[in-house]
This record gives sequence, C-alpha cells and structure tokens, in this order.
Amino acid sequence: MKPKHMLRYYINILFLFCFAYAFTQGIGSDQKDTIYLNKYGLRVGLDLYNPIHTAFDNTRKGLEIVGDYRITKKYFAAAELGYMENTTDEDFINFTTNGSYIKLGVDYNAYENWLDMENMIYVGFRYGFSTFSQTLNTFTINNDVFYDDLRTVENGQKFDGLNAHWGEIILGVKAELFNNLYLGFSFSGKKVISSKQPDNFKNLFVPGFNRVFLNNSGFGFNYTLSYLIPLYKKAK
Amino acid sequence: MRKVKPFLLVFLTTIFVMSSCERDEICIDPITPKLIIAFYDFEDDESSKSVNNLAIEIINVDITNKSLDTVGTDSIGIPLNIYALQTTIVLTSDSKNSDLINQDTIQVNYETENIFVGRSCGYKSIFKNVSINRDFNDSERWIKSLVVEQSEIENETKAHVTILH
Repeated sequence: MKPKHMLRYYINILFLFCFAYAFTQGIGSDQKDTIYLNKYGLRVGLDLYNPIHTAFDNTRKGLEIVGDYRITKKYFAAAELGYMENTTDEDFINFTTNGSYIKLGVDYNAYENWLDMENMIYVGFRYGFSTFSQTLNTFTINNDVFYDDLRTVENGQKFDGLNAHWGEIILGVKAELFNNLYLGFSFSGKKVISSKQPDNFKNLFVPGFNRVFLNNSGFGFNYTLSYLIPLYKKAK
Repeated sequence: MRKVKPFLLVFLTTIFVMSSCERDEICIDPITPKLIIAFYDFEDDESSKSVNNLAIEIINVDITNKSLDTVGTDSIGIPLNIYALQTTIVLTSDSKNSDLINQDTIQVNYETENIFVGRSCGYKSIFKNVSINRDFNDSERWIKSLVVEQSEIENETKAHVTILH
C-alpha cells in the first residue's frame, strides 16, 4: 500500500471513531485547483448488529441486507430488506415475533468531504413495512396478590397475517475503510403509522421496528458493512 | 456552525432515545377486578351500614399471613379465584364476639375471560354471568337480602353485589 493510501486509511478510521478531524481547519487554499471526482454506484451490504446481538443473546435472530444508490452529490436512494425472529420476555407474557420487512427512503449526506474521500455523516428518512406473526408462548393472568399461586399458562396461540407501516428518521455515519468498503453505524427514531393488531393481544414488537413503546414510537441501532460497486465518476 | 450541526443532531437523538425508554415498564393499569360487595341497612336500603367486625374467609385458599381490610367499611373487595368457576366465601359478622358470632356462606359462580391489558400487566381476567348461591339451610342468617347488581365484573368502579343486613 502506498503511503498516501495508508494515510487516507488512518484518517478514515479516525473519522469513524471520533469525528475529531472535522473540527480541525481546512487545508490551505493556496493549492492549485484540482477537480476531485465523486464515485457513483450501488452500495450493498449487511447489517452486523443483529448477528452480534444473536451471539450474546439468542432470543433474537435476524438478517438485514442494506443498499443505497447515489443519485446526486448529496442524495442517496436507500433500502433495507430483512428478516427477524425475536422472543420478548416480560413479567407476565412471553411471545415470539417472526417476519420480514422492507424500508425505502433517502439519505442526505451533510458532510463536506476532503479531497476525493467518500465519507458520510447523513440524515435519512425511511418508510418501513413489515408482515409478521406473533406467537404467544406463555402468559400469567395478573390477579390480586391475595392469590400468590400465579400460574403460567402455556398458550402457543399464533396470530398470523399481521402488518405494520412506520416512518423513520436516521442519523448515521459511513466511512470508507478500504477502497470501496464501508463501515457505518446509525441511530434511528421511529413511529408506527398504522398496524394490523391481533385480537386480544398487541404488536409489542415488530420486525425492522423493534420494540414498540407505549406511544407507538421506537428506536433502532445499526452497524453495517457494505461494498460500493462503482459505476461511474462525476465531479458533482 | 456547519460542521457542528451533525454532531448536535446525533447528540439530540441520543437524548431523545434515552428519554423515551421504559415508560411502560411498570404495570399501572387495572388488573383482575375484585368482587365488590356493598353493605346496606335492611330497614333502610338507601343508607349504607358497615358490618361489625366482619371477617372474610375464602374456602380452599390459605390466607394465613394475608388479610383483607375490613375495618369500618361499608363495602369490601374480595378477590375471586380465576382458576375455578366458583369461589366460596364465608362472611362472618361480629367475629370478635363469641355470643353474637354469625357465619354466612355464599358461593359465587361465574365464567372467566382473559383480556389483554398491556406489555407490563399482561392479561387480566374478567367475570361473566355472575350468580350467587346462598346457604338457606342456615337458620340464623345475618345476611337478610343479597342482590347481584352487575352480572359482569369488569372493573371496580361500582359495587357488583349489595347485601342488606
């Protein structure tokens, strides 16, 4: 690897872990004008968060494919496609959610890159849709403490054909580790728009949305590793 | 400013995420309702009348170390057994006076239905087609009259049963 490339690699690592260099001043303006070209193409990758989660706690199994396509210098069309099986254990209920989801939207890169670097600090919007089933594994009827023989009922009732629509706002970072290989992480805030609820139960977990809080909101966290398939280069 | 903005956004989202957690962790919604019995005067069924030293016993339930608050009340909430279709209750008046002590037994019959409440509360039971059998072989009944006011026990806002004595 040439020293110049090594340097770029180190800088990108730095970018990913502390953003520190964003606060430093820009390089001297007395340099001769060089036009740096932006890479355009399709970036595809995998979510790493769920496999890591599964390694520590096997109540969740999931796979998510992520992809984005650069439209302009700043805008990227983005999509995520995934499958998830998750068991939630609460004080009085235990249930398993099983289903797949798709998210479609746009990312806006708010970061001005140096030279020909291709890092991102971005804001994104997504529309999410999921179809899934809920299986109520066990429940305990919540009765007065007077009866201390709380019995757990083995149920196994399955609620099929459920769905949910939601919106997401994403804040994230993507850094080019090696040529065309990106590591990224993002936070997302979500809100359910509408949901087909089961009879006498509730969609407390939705694949792709995660835990549904009382006010129909939720949040997510993603680690992604992706590869850019470069198609062409453009100055803007 | 332009470079600070994204950091500010990430920071604000983190705050938003932190503050939105765990609001439904504690069960505060009403769970399985108790049977509410209100006591009225037999002579004047408009005025409530508390029972002297009322003691409650639920048959087949060990209530050692547990107590129902019965002191000076003109109504009482009795938890029903959700795993059976009936609960037999012995209501004892003047329980501390060996001369006047009087035990009346009632049997509450019902059907149960499980209703989903929420994440932290899980399911509760409600009771339907509630009826009460009394022991009429008992010649000295302190309960003069008993009326089932509501055949469905869904909440604890109103008395389900009134007893005149």
